[in-house]
Amino acid sequence: MLPLSITAVVARNELWQNQASSEPYECGWAKEAIVYLRALKHPVRTENVRARIEYSPDGIRWVDSGLDFALPTQADQISWIPVNHFGNWLRVAVDLPDGAAITVLVSINLKA
Amino acid sequence: MHSQTNQIAKLSRFDPMPRIITFDDFDYGFCGWGQLVGNYEQSLDAMNPSYQQHTHPQLSNLSHWDSGSHSSWDGTYALKIQTRPVAGARNVSVKRLTFRKAGPIRLELYFTFKPEATEPRLLETDVRSVGFLFDLQDPDEGGNRVMPHIRFLNAENGEHVQKWQFKRKSPPVTPVGNEGKTITHDHLAPNDWEDLPNGHQKLCYNEIPTKVNWHYLRFDFDLENMRMLEMQCNNRLFDLSQIDSMVMPAMKNLWCMLNMGLFTETDTNKRALYYIDSVCLSGDF
Repeated sequence: MLPLSITAVVARNELWQNQASSEPYECGWAKEAIVYLRALKHPVRTENVRARIEYSPDGIRWVDSGLDFALPTQADQISWIPVNHFGNWLRVAVDLPDGAAITVLVSINLKA
Repeated sequence: MHSQTNQIAKLSRFDPMPRIITFDDFDYGFCGWGQLVGNYEQSLDAMNPSYQQHTHPQLSNLSHWDSGSHSSWDGTYALKIQTRPVAGARNVSVKRLTFRKAGPIRLELYFTFKPEATEPRLLETDVRSVGFLFDLQDPDEGGNRVMPHIRFLNAENGEHVQKWQFKRKSPPVTPVGNEGKTITHDHLAPNDWEDLPNGHQKLCYNEIPTKVNWHYLRFDFDLENMRMLEMQCNNRLFDLSQIDSMVMPAMKNLWCMLNMGLFTETDTNKRALYYIDSVCLSGDF
């Protein structure tokens, strides 16, 4: 049987402002991930704003993985980051400054 | 690891009809279960908000903050369907098939549910419901689209209700976009659920929010007459022969559709977690 590989869309057409994050995604079965964040509409004031990858031991409490990436600044632009060591939950979190906003499609490609 | 002996042992906990249409053991992956995405045209903004909230199912080893991994019935992973942490939120996972014989079919599954253990309390009234549905359509013009829906109403407005319900009233159908090709209808809206006769059932829930016990469910349906037949949950049998499904005129692209859906709703601002260890769909053909 081939190793499992899936794409999970974890945030679809969500408007992110202020403190925002994707829903907790349990994926401890996977050995590697690439997180993609696409701006579905033109972002507002996202220059120099970075989103971070967070891990959780229980799906409730979160820690900063130390991995971060720049948010898109144009519509349809995709930001992405590989994540190679994690468990058991993953999410994307960002603190947007006042007036900043982005409508996101976040998908995670996971491989066992 | 997927040996014949192992598969026979795993199937022995089901009572399938002669033809196994699909046997989904989530130790081996998602087995065709994905998220129910709402219909749209041109832009995702056209999607009904009740569908916007749906997210992807997960493969869970039922890990908890206090006790680690609970694991599944006889392996490590179960399918997990998780709502958002907003009272009334729901989530749905779907598997899309078609049928080749309009006869009796049987859905069996092993399931359990809990809310997120965000408080050191029992939390037995946080999950509103767990349930299942079929989305079916007759093979030919002039037929119907038929949608049997059943849910276990665990709690409502803080009351530990614990009863089975069905839905037969079809929701309004509204067009999506302007090409005349797509519609939407919120068949899982919270209204119009009705009680099954003698439908109360106390399910084992266990004593803290991080202990789970698995339940058996069987649902029999006749695709020829598009009628429910019978349901079993653990030791209880329910006669469904007089229970109606939602029925609406056939839609122009859905012939022989055989979709299965599994859904959960939360009654509080906690995520409801609906776990399915395995699913067996069989038919008499």
